[in-house]
Amino acid sequence: MYANAVIRCRPSLHHHYQQHKSLIWFSQQQQQLTSSNANKPRNFSAQSSILPPPDVSRLAQTARISLTPNEVEEFAPKIRQVIDWFGQLQAVDLQSIEPALRADTEGDNLRHDVPETFGNREAILSAVPSYQEPYIKVPKILNKE
Amino acid sequence: MISAIQNPRIQFLFQCRHQFNFPPKSRHFHRSTILLNSASSSSQVLTEKTLTSTSPPTSEILTIRKSLLSRERKAVEIAEEYLNRLRLTEPTIKSFLHVSENVMKEAEELDLKIERNEELGVLAGVLIGVKDNICTVDMPSTGGSRILQGYRPAYDATAVKKLKQSGAILVGKTNMDEFGMGSTTEGSGFQVTANPWDVSRVPGGSSGGSAAAVSARQCVAALGSDTGGSVRQPASFCGVVGMKPTYGRVSRFGLMAYASSLDVIGCFGSSVADTAILLEAISGHDIFDATSSKREVPSFASQFISTELLESKPLKGLRVGIIGETLGDGVNKPVVSTIKDAALHLEELGCTVSEVSLPSFSLGLPAYYILASSESSSNLSRYDGVRYGNQAAAEELNSLYSDSRCNGFGPEVKMRILMGTYALSAGYYDAYYKRAQQVRTLVQKSFKDALRENDILISPAAPSAAYKMGEKKNDPLAMYAGDIMTVNVNLAGLPALVLPCGFVEGGPAGLPIGLQMIGGQFDEGKLLRVGHIFEQTLQGCRFIPPLVA
Repeated sequence: MYANAVIRCRPSLHHHYQQHKSLIWFSQQQQQLTSSNANKPRNFSAQSSILPPPDVSRLAQTARISLTPNEVEEFAPKIRQVIDWFGQLQAVDLQSIEPALRADTEGDNLRHDVPETFGNREAILSAVPSYQEPYIKVPKILNKE
Repeated sequence: MISAIQNPRIQFLFQCRHQFNFPPKSRHFHRSTILLNSASSSSQVLTEKTLTSTSPPTSEILTIRKSLLSRERKAVEIAEEYLNRLRLTEPTIKSFLHVSENVMKEAEELDLKIERNEELGVLAGVLIGVKDNICTVDMPSTGGSRILQGYRPAYDATAVKKLKQSGAILVGKTNMDEFGMGSTTEGSGFQVTANPWDVSRVPGGSSGGSAAAVSARQCVAALGSDTGGSVRQPASFCGVVGMKPTYGRVSRFGLMAYASSLDVIGCFGSSVADTAILLEAISGHDIFDATSSKREVPSFASQFISTELLESKPLKGLRVGIIGETLGDGVNKPVVSTIKDAALHLEELGCTVSEVSLPSFSLGLPAYYILASSESSSNLSRYDGVRYGNQAAAEELNSLYSDSRCNGFGPEVKMRILMGTYALSAGYYDAYYKRAQQVRTLVQKSFKDALRENDILISPAAPSAAYKMGEKKNDPLAMYAGDIMTVNVNLAGLPALVLPCGFVEGGPAGLPIGLQMIGGQFDEGKLLRVGHIFEQTLQGCRFIPPLVA
């Protein structure tokens, strides 16, 4: 069952890569415009693998962490190095191996699904940085995107 | 003390190989405890130990209990002694992010309880440090991260609640690599902790503050957490005992999640007995953690009361497998020979030691880092500056999230979140996360096979002794490689005990090396029993750092 899943997903990953190539190229161009030091050729040693290498700016956006151009420059080679190193698992034959979610825990430990009142509500609410009874206040949520 | 370990390596070898005598009966754990109780203070105990440099470590917890029950010492005296040492050493070691203001008050209350002849908990009057990623209601809990600077949780972690119920006095919150991501404690958002054996070296990590605090006798014992070795590696670097329990033995409720499928709360002590007593106090099922086991918690420390030490071969018949993959390339040579000496010591105690192979061993490291970074990218999404923690000023919600996280997280945390985000991206799951989980199955299976033929497995706790600050700071792969000895145990969820077994050269007095003993699921009792005998019979090694000796 898992073996099939692995085989089936490969073409779609290829497809994914094709789609991403242009995005990666685009973000590199952008970096060249914004960063004086970006003309160094990038090391794409992950190209042997079928997956596109990480694009740090995009990842940062997805993870909701704003990075400075310096951070992007500092992190990118390190993250690529680690992802390349992760790639060694692609070469291992794992076709008939079931994935394990965690170490076996002896199951049936769930508590009953009944609500309980938490005793220390005051303390929870006093930790909220911006609170206006009875709401947690945030800036506007809608933006132009 | 200094002269005794001027060249600890040579002396250790000499005593272990040529002067191997089984201890006289008075070395028996309980007897030696009673003997030491005649000393009028534990600082005197330290002096006494220093003079007789080969005496094995004793349980500070039992010593404290005895002297309280016999009214020989007051809880305030004991607390003061530790606090004085803490104040003296803290400017150099920097193991605490917060020191409790209530220590003396709690000790006074305990003295009143003793006066009223009330029953005392097993940890009454015992000063315990708590790693800063374990929630405490009356002390800040930041997980070593600026994003939670000043945060005070609204509840105690279950492990902390149990400590308090046992009568422990919490000394403070110990420094750590931010959210547990690091192996040196240099990744703390606040300060860098020094190794008490050589203050120019790291204490290990991520529970470096807890390990350094116990090593420098700033507290009696401490809690840490272990996702990939964060209790065991610093225990090795600082020359203290560290226990990573079976996944599910101790509730994770109130432990800030890093990689939930791997995280466990563990303990540090200056003896195996103290570590066992502490583990017993915090173990057990908790309705707030569905992965916590309903298994009964054995009385770990009372298993030590046996006549085994009276025999010449107290561990006769115990099958010990030494993991071949942990003694090869990339492992510091003096570390390898120290571990081989430890294996020899086990043989002298009656064990049969044979080499075992864990074929999936090297795959465990990348698999671990895929799982840990993936799970962290999901777990750390809660730190968005909205409900708690530091919030950045922003015009709209997305920048509030992104800027709060940008300001609050340090570089290693940011990188791991990004790596995890990559590994979990749509379409990549099968190539990374699922593959890593398949490797986890392989690792579990290879441990199971090895533990069918062996009662325990042994290895170094780390490929080197404590290294210099800054040495690996800018090279993530070099840093990650240091975790090779420990991560597989987390993938398999097994218990492992690390205890100091010798020294290698370095620093003013040598650098301690930890032996890792790995057992089957929920077999902590066996590890502690074997560890206790090992520790009590190890000759010529004193694991009190020069700073406090």
